[in-house]
Amino acid sequence: MNMFSSCMITALVILTLPIIMSSTKLYKNKLYPYYVKTATSYAFMISMIPTMMFIYSGQEMIISNWHWMTIQTMKLSMSFKLDYFSMIFVPVALFVTWSIMEFSMWYMHSDPYINRFFKYLLLFLITMMVLVTANNMFQLFIGWEGVGIMSFLLIGWWYGRTDANTAALQAVLYNRIGDVGFIMAMAWFQLNLNTWDLQQIFITTNDNFNLPLLGLLLAATGKSAQFGLHPWLPSAMEGPTPVSALLHSSTMVVAGVFLLIRFHPLMEHNQTIQTLTLCLGAITTLLTAICALTQNDIKKIVAFSTSSQLGLMMVTIGINQPYLAFLHICTHAFFKAMLFMCSGSIIHSLNDEQDIRKMGGLFKVLPFTTTSLIIGSLALTGMPFLTGFYSKDLIIESANTSNTNAWALLITLVATSLTAAYSTRIMFFALLGQPRFSPMILINENNPLLINSIKRLLIGSVFAGYIISHSITPTTIPQMTMPHYLKMTALAVTILGFILALELNLTTQGLKFNYPSNYFKFSSLLGYYPTIMHRLTPKTSLTISQKSASMLLDSIWLENILPKSISYFQMKSSTLISNQKGLIKLYFLSFMLTMILSLLILNYHG
Amino acid sequence: MLKIIIPTIMLIPLTWMSKPNMIWINTTTYGLLISLISLFYLNQPNDNTLNSSLMFFSDSLSAPLLALTTWLLPLMLMASQHHLSKEPLTRKKLYISMLILLQLFLIMTFTASELIFFYILFEATLIPTLIIITRWGNQTERLNAGLYFLFYTLMGSLPLLVALLYIHNFMGSLNFLMIQYWIQPLPNSWSNIFLWLACMMAFMVKMPLYGLHLWLPKAHVEAPIAGSMVLAAVLLKLGGYGMMRITTLLNPLTNFMAYPFMMLSLWGMIMTSSICLRQTDLKSLIAYSSVSHMALVIVAVLIQTPCSYMGATALMIAHGLTSSMLFCLANSNYERIHSRTMILARGLQTLLPLMAAWWLLASLTNLALPPTINLIGELFVVMSSFSWSNITIILMGINITITALYSLYMLITTQRGKYSHHIKNIKPSFTRENALMTLHLLPLLLLSLNPKIILGPIY
Repeated sequence: MNMFSSCMITALVILTLPIIMSSTKLYKNKLYPYYVKTATSYAFMISMIPTMMFIYSGQEMIISNWHWMTIQTMKLSMSFKLDYFSMIFVPVALFVTWSIMEFSMWYMHSDPYINRFFKYLLLFLITMMVLVTANNMFQLFIGWEGVGIMSFLLIGWWYGRTDANTAALQAVLYNRIGDVGFIMAMAWFQLNLNTWDLQQIFITTNDNFNLPLLGLLLAATGKSAQFGLHPWLPSAMEGPTPVSALLHSSTMVVAGVFLLIRFHPLMEHNQTIQTLTLCLGAITTLLTAICALTQNDIKKIVAFSTSSQLGLMMVTIGINQPYLAFLHICTHAFFKAMLFMCSGSIIHSLNDEQDIRKMGGLFKVLPFTTTSLIIGSLALTGMPFLTGFYSKDLIIESANTSNTNAWALLITLVATSLTAAYSTRIMFFALLGQPRFSPMILINENNPLLINSIKRLLIGSVFAGYIISHSITPTTIPQMTMPHYLKMTALAVTILGFILALELNLTTQGLKFNYPSNYFKFSSLLGYYPTIMHRLTPKTSLTISQKSASMLLDSIWLENILPKSISYFQMKSSTLISNQKGLIKLYFLSFMLTMILSLLILNYHG
Repeated sequence: MLKIIIPTIMLIPLTWMSKPNMIWINTTTYGLLISLISLFYLNQPNDNTLNSSLMFFSDSLSAPLLALTTWLLPLMLMASQHHLSKEPLTRKKLYISMLILLQLFLIMTFTASELIFFYILFEATLIPTLIIITRWGNQTERLNAGLYFLFYTLMGSLPLLVALLYIHNFMGSLNFLMIQYWIQPLPNSWSNIFLWLACMMAFMVKMPLYGLHLWLPKAHVEAPIAGSMVLAAVLLKLGGYGMMRITTLLNPLTNFMAYPFMMLSLWGMIMTSSICLRQTDLKSLIAYSSVSHMALVIVAVLIQTPCSYMGATALMIAHGLTSSMLFCLANSNYERIHSRTMILARGLQTLLPLMAAWWLLASLTNLALPPTINLIGELFVVMSSFSWSNITIILMGINITITALYSLYMLITTQRGKYSHHIKNIKPSFTRENALMTLHLLPLLLLSLNPKIILGPIY
């Protein structure tokens, strides 16, 4: 018996145990969050065994069991694909979730429904595992929709708040638009290749994969919040901070990129889709980086930086380097989850204050959080030898040396520079300078649940990139040699961003805030996109559905053409034809006459 | 088949002879037992053993619908208890008898092997439904609703009688099992086009096709809970069942006759689901969502591929259970708030948390979350329409998005947000109601494990 598959299945089964136990008395217990956290950590440790085996021997595996149904000639069975991507991503996701669960025990400790919160987190994690390990598109779709619905439930956790409900609905709606693409791709594969199994899709050739790939790209756009379907991600920050840390930074939102990585064998020879992906990613990364520049809500800034990094991953897929994109997914998970947890720590300490203008000087009162936040930000900007460097630097170098669209490359570089700028802004306003928060707040970050969880991810943010990129050989080889100036570009633009942002912050801090310029308005109003799309589209569609679908067609036309007009004509014609006028004497007379006549005729007939 | 029909008939004396406090319990229990018998028909051995007599047969298309019908009777009885609690005993018994009579007719309709017999029973189901709607509805508009219901469906189905007599005249038989071997391709002529229309319109109205659907929201809204449940769950499916049965007779004509109806359905599906977005009335919203889902079934039946038939059958069963459950939930709100207006019943999650879980699950199945059978049905329909024409994916996609939107809109409006003060003193949810929701969800979940029993004859 091979340890490989059995360990992996054990890890997955361990995750389902607390869900099953939730129907017992255990669920009423105060220790339920603790059990969930422990189960996750066990699952992480067990899943490390097959990952180590994979790193050591490069063994990949497919587990097929439980035949679900056969539709004509297409067999659907439950099947897990344990390959490069799932083997690396599963432990990373479990590790991050483990820390976030520990963090939630601290962050959500006063919530009366904390057990349910943990159950939701775990359910989300299971659907994510299903998504990552799925070997056929149907199973992938189960995970895909599952994470969408769990994000709906978790964003709307504080369901009494209107904003949370709106954000939850918005997330589902944008995801659902993406799902249409996924369903189209499924339909196309079923019709043309007669299979949903990944291997069979990849070995079958077809002249034109444009249509299904467009569908998958749409799906990825929805799930990974790319330009056009991006506004849901910053709105999703209405959810609790652990949810933002888990779903909207490290796991769920990368599912779209992961999908494209899964399907890269179809994409690698398709220039059209690659160019589209590249441009889409580049636009997203720049636009969201610009939006991040002027936000004042600390979680919104981190959310926009997530969006920007997702754009960068899409760019990487666009330049045909799926393995690099995957590396960035893994490294990004560590420091972005940690950034969210740090902002959660700050928010919680300052009595739910999220505005960075009302922070300041936190390095004295929250030294550990400050350290972690700075390391996380530096890792995010790609500071050499921190985690982000190993993926981000390679991505920029590959983009620089590849034969790519210069426009897309340029705006990606600008976005990279802006990353440094908004990171500086968080650090400058939240951590440095004089305190601007209320002096009455009692600040204490010395809780082992908080310290340990952040510490674990902190170590990850420093070393994970090195460990991952050195243990696992990338299958597509990035460019190794390049001129000096190209090698230094990534670093140079980042340092440029840092210096400029620092100078700007220092010089403008004391200045009076004049009437904002148009550039500022563009950035702070998120490129006017929500203003236009969230007002115009709902208004027109709701007006159309009310005025034309409901009123005009249903209540007026269809009602008048058939039932009303028929009854009207019946009534008119019956009153016209009928001679019923209420003339009783006449009627009796005619009745008598007929009776007499009939008597006479019948009697004298024969 | 008599082993279902005779027990169902015997339920009527059971109702009238039971002690006053036992009428609900007795009928529900025996109804459940009868539904267990019907489960045996789901096993289709493929060797003519299910052709019970000259009159009755069951195949893998009718067996799931049969099981759905018998399953629904106890659920309807459970759901109506509160609605009838203030009525005198005789009326309660009469009401139960009507439901039983309706089930009897439905069982015979689904299992009839003769088309004229099918037609007579198809029409006979109108009578108990009409009585249920117009006698036990809640408002005066119920009379109008009853009129709409009766006249739309009657007018649609009268030409079918003529068409059937004509077919019987030149075929010599109307037995489903035989005519599928005897049938010749219909030549393309005006009279045959009218034959096609006469045969299909009866079922299109029943489905209902967009444009002929006005009776449905009215009937659903005005009917008492059991009426809404049975209308949404089974009576609409009669249309789909009839269409699937009768298209075998009309063969080459459907290829081009289908176009206007496909267009109407694709258009109507989006129109009706966008109407849902603006509904303030909970029951009306669910009714319009039924129209939109049934439009998918019409499209699937008209495309006439194996895949689309599978999708249509699966979607019919899935929608039957889901919409019936949504009506039950709406009714449990109505019994507490005494209004169907959604905005009066906000924020119920705080007060009735378990009911909120049922709402969530019902909304999720309604928007076709994988791996429920709703998704399987919708996915097959989308796939077959995609293969029919690639462009339909745009319309289907819009519909999928809007369906998700109104399902969650309904969920958020009724369950989420702050509750309003006038609902502070509502009753907690009863075990009866929770059991009712469980009995709806259980088959949905179990069928997701093994969907092939509801995939119809082509599977």
